[in-house]
Amino acid sequence: MNTENADLQTSHEFFERWLKAYESTYGRIIDMPTMGPSREGVDRLRKNFEATVNMQASWAESLSGFQSAFMEATRRTQEKVEKLGAHGASPSSYKAYYDIWMETYRETFKEFLKSKFFASDLAKLTSNSMDFQKSSRILIEENFLRPANIPTQTDMDDLNKEVYLLKKQVKELARELRKSAK
Amino acid sequence: MEVMELIENNMRAMKMFDTFLKVPEISVGMTPSEVVYTEDDMRLLHYTPVVKKPHPVPVLIVYALVNRYYILDLQPDKSVVKKLLEDGLDVYIIDWGYPSGIDRYLTIDDYVNGYLDNAVEKVRELSGAEKISLFGVCQGGTFSVMYSALHPEKIRNLATMVTPVDFDTDDGLLHVWAKSLDADRIVDAYGIVPGNLLNAGFLLTDPFGVLIDKYVGFFEKIEGNGEGEDGERRNEETVMNFLRMEKWIFDSPDQAGEMYRQFIKDCYQKNLLIKNEMMLNGKRIDLKNITMPLLNVMGQYDHLVPIAASRPLNDAVASTDKEIMIFPTGHIGMFVSGKSQKEICPKISSWLRTRSGKDRSQTGKGRRNSR
Repeated sequence: MNTENADLQTSHEFFERWLKAYESTYGRIIDMPTMGPSREGVDRLRKNFEATVNMQASWAESLSGFQSAFMEATRRTQEKVEKLGAHGASPSSYKAYYDIWMETYRETFKEFLKSKFFASDLAKLTSNSMDFQKSSRILIEENFLRPANIPTQTDMDDLNKEVYLLKKQVKELARELRKSAK
Repeated sequence: MEVMELIENNMRAMKMFDTFLKVPEISVGMTPSEVVYTEDDMRLLHYTPVVKKPHPVPVLIVYALVNRYYILDLQPDKSVVKKLLEDGLDVYIIDWGYPSGIDRYLTIDDYVNGYLDNAVEKVRELSGAEKISLFGVCQGGTFSVMYSALHPEKIRNLATMVTPVDFDTDDGLLHVWAKSLDADRIVDAYGIVPGNLLNAGFLLTDPFGVLIDKYVGFFEKIEGNGEGEDGERRNEETVMNFLRMEKWIFDSPDQAGEMYRQFIKDCYQKNLLIKNEMMLNGKRIDLKNITMPLLNVMGQYDHLVPIAASRPLNDAVASTDKEIMIFPTGHIGMFVSGKSQKEICPKISSWLRTRSGKDRSQTGKGRRNSR
């Protein structure tokens, strides 16, 4: 499979256009500045919505890439089976067909997974998913947990950092003591 | 004919089900050992020697943070540890444990100059050996290389197995993907990077092979084991062996965030280690400081750590006694294949033995030695 081929390029362009169209229409409404006492909370909601849209777009793009690879693998399997049939050597059992199917899918996906498209898609999907995760955490912490006076992951991280630094200091001091005792 | 085939397939499925019902609980890492040191989540295990006078230079095995150390002692007939013990070596291993939220700020420096250094000190103290052998596996090998360059005075021999040091290669999918990964975003979002996320990456390197074909092969093997008592015994063995591997594959500890961030950025993306530009706590890692004997072991079909990522180590160090061993197997095959037991382990063991002195009676200083 030529993974740099038109299928992947087209789907990539489609999602890029879709995102641009969204950003220049609905996205602008979401981006509108917020005002009033609930400004901060609404702003966090808005950012979370934006992160959700970006994540969904990259999910869809990744799925479309996988679909192209699946279609290519199926086409190749079909081609191989037809060729064998033409030579009177059609697979005689489910297992024989399975072996052809497996070999072809593994080969095709190996090419797809090694392509520049997949690497950049994976990076984009990971980054957008992380942004969504982070923005959801901030939203929940700031809009719900903190007003209810419930400790948050951010509080835990601060504590964890304190403990880490203290432990490190204790270990260093213990090491110094051991050295001087020797 | 098709109805008959359907009935036969159902009968086969029932037989598989029956085999699974008879399988006892699986156990891994069964070679007798004693915990001789603990620090936070890390444990240092000392395996009970099986010869009267083991070689005086002990071997400390350092495995990766991803997945668990017991792959080197998966089961009695597939155990790197057991082979080394039977060949008269005195073997220790580090179990890194399962990091939790409190470990998110641990850096590579904490692992190399903290936990690993303390483990080396403990092994030196218990064995009485001035210098020890480090046997680093996978990422544990990378840490061992860093350690040996920073503390050469404590290391007599360095053996690395499927160890990446030159990350600038496109031979392995992980190397290709890691180049464009935004480690900052991952760590900032998770803190502790979920082991399952990394495992998903490993599975994605060959999705049809590891998620479908592996299981089909397993069921085929059970079918091929035949009927009767012998067949049942073989079936149980096949299922147990398979489940032990399954346990190991999906037993993926989470990763300390800061360590992960640094490993991806400094190693996979900037490739600083092989360029002698990597810094740990303000100290530069100069691979030319590695002057001790070096054995570098690789798998010809390793798709996780390709040869191109390991081989350059031998040119980067200053050791005069250095050797490369390449075996026709993959990453996991290095530890659990038939070839591992018959060929790979004996060669590594022989390399270590010839550089580990005759026997312990020559030193006689260690705490364990005076027993």
